[in-house]
Amino acid sequence: MPDCPNPPVVSELLPGILFALVFYWALIATFYRAFIWKRTASPLPIPLTPAPQSRAGVVGRLLLELVLFRSLARASLITWVGSILFHYGLLWLLIMHLRLLFPQLPLALLPFIQFSGWALLAMMSGLLILLLRRCLVDRVRYISSPSDYLHLLLLMAIGITGALIKRHWPADLYSTGEFLRGALTAQWQSLPDSASLMVHLALVSVLMLIFPVSKLIHGIGIVFSPTWNQRER
Amino acid sequence: MNDSQPVAAAEVPSVVGRYRVIPLIREGAMSNEHSAVADASVQQQLKLPGTLVEDWHDRAIARLGELVASRRGLRVFLDTCTKCGACTDKCHYFLGTHDARNMPVARQDLLRSVYRRYFTFAGRFFPWLVGARKLDKALLQDWYNYFHQCSECRRCTVFCPKGIDTSEVTMAGREILASVGLGQQYSQEIITKVNSIGNNLGMKAPALAHVLESLEEDILEETGVPVRLPLDDPDADMLVVTPSADFFAEPHVDGLIGYAKVLHQSGIRWTFSSAASEAANFALFTGQHDHMRDIALRIRNAAVELNVSRLVIGECGHAWRVAYSFLDALVGPMNFLEAAHPRAQHICELTHELLESGVIRLDAERNRGKVVTYHDSCNVARGAGMGNIKGGQFTIPRELLVASVPQVIDMSRDTTHQRTFCCGGGGGLLTDDLMNVRIKGALPRAQALREVVTSHQVTHLVAICAICKTQLSAVLPHHDLANVQVTSLHQLVGDALLLDGNKANT
Ligand code: SF4
Ligand code: SF4
Repeated sequence: MPDCPNPPVVSELLPGILFALVFYWALIATFYRAFIWKRTASPLPIPLTPAPQSRAGVVGRLLLELVLFRSLARASLITWVGSILFHYGLLWLLIMHLRLLFPQLPLALLPFIQFSGWALLAMMSGLLILLLRRCLVDRVRYISSPSDYLHLLLLMAIGITGALIKRHWPADLYSTGEFLRGALTAQWQSLPDSASLMVHLALVSVLMLIFPVSKLIHGIGIVFSPTWNQRER
Repeated sequence: MNDSQPVAAAEVPSVVGRYRVIPLIREGAMSNEHSAVADASVQQQLKLPGTLVEDWHDRAIARLGELVASRRGLRVFLDTCTKCGACTDKCHYFLGTHDARNMPVARQDLLRSVYRRYFTFAGRFFPWLVGARKLDKALLQDWYNYFHQCSECRRCTVFCPKGIDTSEVTMAGREILASVGLGQQYSQEIITKVNSIGNNLGMKAPALAHVLESLEEDILEETGVPVRLPLDDPDADMLVVTPSADFFAEPHVDGLIGYAKVLHQSGIRWTFSSAASEAANFALFTGQHDHMRDIALRIRNAAVELNVSRLVIGECGHAWRVAYSFLDALVGPMNFLEAAHPRAQHICELTHELLESGVIRLDAERNRGKVVTYHDSCNVARGAGMGNIKGGQFTIPRELLVASVPQVIDMSRDTTHQRTFCCGGGGGLLTDDLMNVRIKGALPRAQALREVVTSHQVTHLVAICAICKTQLSAVLPHHDLANVQVTSLHQLVGDALLLDGNKANT
């Protein structure tokens, strides 16, 4: 290419650049939010008692909440089931997506790829349970804002486009990987020519864009919740 | 301002249902219930504006900004709620009133919507999307009404998957309201009294001395044993600070007599203090940390002045939370306390210790005929501990009861221990102008009590909190439970205690 960069090339690289920007925004802004929480003074100890007396106990308590959603299980079994299905389905799929970061498929990821259909089913049913609850239970409807529904719909749309890529309009895995690796390491590549992939990535970008400035960041907030992370004397 | 009618028992929701039945929401059902706003004189004594200030909007927003920047809990709680709805059916005021804004998350949202509008990106630029709102007069009024329909009991926190503590939001809301001129008469007036006179009731030292003397005479008459109730005894080793209701209110005073008997039998030299004749700290309720410190400091100063090495707190729920969880942070270190008891002790811990070591003996037969059940007070259950063992706040009072009464029955596990329901009168709501809220808020407790009254013929409801005792005595008749007697734990202990006439505490 003699007179590089020429306009068409830049426009081809634009998706990668945007994706990188959004990705690093999500990362940095999330850290910044956590930093703000950390920086804010905590004048009085307000653990919810009985609270653990040791640091290890506090870690255990936080893990129970983060991993098993213990308090939610106490409160509402149906919400707990919906949340567990959604979060673990999503986690499974996120791990599955790590394949895109490697030029050669790591064997450890095989089971994640194999069962990704089930994981997607779990995630979608979880989201559906949560959405139905939000629409049908008068108490939950009362406290919901448009964004609360939209978050669920966005995640569902990401799941659906993901399924489409997998089943109907497959995108070239290798060049998708090239694109992602290129985007994250500032060696931009063009996006593979696939409409479903484009929509999927656009939706994921929206998710990453709003993640740090919305309630979606709650998983990190939990760690800073003084009712749980403080010891009893 | 308050246009609700005096309460008739018929208005109260049916007690036939169970607390597990979740009502449909009724918007605005309690929007006309408001506690009286503080008089200008009271506000001014606390260096707060006497009436709603001209620039209330700007000052409220500024104060909210300061609080969010200085209280991590508040900020995290406002940021992390996902509106999952897990807490929506956990508040006794919602269960009793059905008012949608009495759902914990909806109560938080009164403040959160404003926080979002002024302090977050999404709320500033897309308010309609995230339910962000400008603060206007109507919302300010809602703040006032609904932040005074929360007893800061933290039951909702037990069920929130983010650990969100609605009480912190309520406290912040009340703090802001007071700072723009809308304090609550009941709580703020009490804070002025405890500051100027030493106790919530405004009872002066000579009156207190007189009360204690006549109680000594009563005990002597009843038991033939000269049990003392010393005041400002300079030779004492232990200071006992108790809610002032214990000095005269029923059934509290019988609990006070119980403490005196136990202390007499222990042989410890102890005293009350006229300067710190109040354990309660209503600044916890109003969220005013500076006043909370001043009130706590009064106790520390009294202890230092009397040169005691032990500090014991009487039966008071929120006072125990302040003593157990906050004292060090507020006025610590408490380095004048003896090494064996390096922090303030609860009277139940002390009695339990004496019982374990055999210093006192209890004969449950003396309470034959009584069937008792125990009401866990919210601040003890969820804001404090006892006896340096996890969950001691649940086991120690129950062990004392079992040792004092032949028949002890627990209410449904959904309504005791960490999941206990508030009596309905805590957090600065124990005022006549909120009687309607108080009666309705007691519904879940009353329902659980009714179960054990029906199944086990329970005769006594035992509490270790002055507010619980006053509230439950007042509202149980409205739930058709007038024949259950609300009782101080230490009354039963005192009645079961084997008193020894020779062990004079002089
Ligand atoms: S349980 Fe917690 S996160 Fe869920 S709606 Fe209530 S306050 Fe919000
Ligand atoms: S703290 Fe208690 S009174 Fe306040 S909202 Fe939560 S459950 Fe209701």
